[in-house]
Amino acid sequence: MIPDRIIEQGTLTTSGARAAVEVRIPWYRALPASCIAGAGLTIDGVAAPAESLRWEFNGRTFTFAEMATNTDDWWFPLDSAVLSGDLSVEADVEHEVSVELTLYIPYIVIGDGEVLHIEEHDTKTMTARSSADSATQEVAA
Amino acid sequence: MTAFGSAPGAVERQGAVGSPIQGVTLYSFTRAFHGREYDLEGLIRKVAADGYGPGLEIIGFSSFRGFPDIDDAYAGWFRDLVAEAGLVQTSLAVNADIGIHRDRLLNQDELIEYMRRQIAAAAKLGFPIARVQISIEPDSMEALAPIAEEHGVTLALEVHADQYASHPRILALRDRYEKVGSPFLGFTADWGATTVGFAPSLIEAYRRRGASEELLGEVVELWDEFYEQGPPADQADHGQRFGRFIGLAAQHGRPDLGIDFAINGTGLFGPARVDDWREIMPWIRHVHGKFFGIDENGEEPSVPVRDLVTLLVESGYDGAISSEYEGWHWNHWQSPFEIIAGEQAVQRSAAESAGSRMTTDADQARRQLAAWLPRAEGARA
Repeated sequence: MIPDRIIEQGTLTTSGARAAVEVRIPWYRALPASCIAGAGLTIDGVAAPAESLRWEFNGRTFTFAEMATNTDDWWFPLDSAVLSGDLSVEADVEHEVSVELTLYIPYIVIGDGEVLHIEEHDTKTMTARSSADSATQEVAA
Repeated sequence: MTAFGSAPGAVERQGAVGSPIQGVTLYSFTRAFHGREYDLEGLIRKVAADGYGPGLEIIGFSSFRGFPDIDDAYAGWFRDLVAEAGLVQTSLAVNADIGIHRDRLLNQDELIEYMRRQIAAAAKLGFPIARVQISIEPDSMEALAPIAEEHGVTLALEVHADQYASHPRILALRDRYEKVGSPFLGFTADWGATTVGFAPSLIEAYRRRGASEELLGEVVELWDEFYEQGPPADQADHGQRFGRFIGLAAQHGRPDLGIDFAINGTGLFGPARVDDWREIMPWIRHVHGKFFGIDENGEEPSVPVRDLVTLLVESGYDGAISSEYEGWHWNHWQSPFEIIAGEQAVQRSAAESAGSRMTTDADQARRQLAAWLPRAEGARA
């Protein structure tokens, strides 16, 4: 729906061992954490290990497993979330960042007990900033 | 069963021409809001200043942070803002998030509670209508009727492509409405169910993605073939149509476009005829003036806006039409604001040609909507 806006330009940060980027919802309405089913973070062709991925929104940090049953925290269309993972990237140089998102659309039932899920992706090129120099919180692995 | 029932829920308007209320849904401006060009207040003021109202429709989960929890101070701020802007709240679009738990669907009690909170939010925010969706079945609509009455909010279930008025699921709802007899149950008619062509602006978007003229010509022809046949007979027919769009893309060496052609060709541009709306006309409480673009002649090339407005006027429809621009998904080269203005000009021209006019005055719209919709007091049949 709005995949071109998933990655926020210029938001790539690195702490050395971890990298983080701000992401926007590619959908027109808020969705609860339970409907944010998964994500992928790839920088310069290297994917962050799935188990190292963390999702920060509304001031808290989650694993995707923790979000699966969470219907209390909602991702509002104007808010940026932060996707981070174990990836070593060099600060102050350009990197190609790709993000994949899998979202469940909870009001569109497509079959017996089955709800529509969409997979959206975005790729942008940007310079990484060292997270020590930025306001972005480092996410504990 | 006749199309025009005489149940308390149905509105009989024989002989009187309608004067639909002009309006817009903020969904039309999704990219501008999502892109942080306008916040909610800015958009509302823009709608008022540019004259896209007086009718104002909003999607709860899009525009209100924390929806459906709305505190008194926020509701007061919002209602004052709308009043000050000189707009009239029509419909709050709410969602039946039946799959919110991912691993299972909500049961009936949970769904009713989920909807009750949103209906209460609609009342608190001052919306007389809540647009609900097809995932709510007749039993649930019947169970929601007393809640709607308690809050004085009309539930208008949206008839949206790939459904259409005479679709079995819609007729089942209509028949249940007739049985229940509550004036608080009705439909929102979405014009996307009754289109006459594959939107040229979407064809242009595919052209910009490098699709050949030959392929694009065949996409249009395939849609026209399905239009001649009318809505699919059943799910298998629907699936076959879906597959033929995918096949066409593959045949022309663009398999990457196949799913997109198929989803839009079968789901966005509904092939039912305008007259099909007569099946549910007495229960239509709200309208989504779904459209996709305005051409160089100032007309909507794929949605028969003039015929649809004429039908509503002749049927005595006095509710609101929320212009709902959907071309923003693919049209990143034109301003949605100008396109909305163009479509509303077509609506006004069509209403005048049909011997009436669109209601554009806020006070008149407020009075008209109050008379058009049931009131909370003494509403029970």
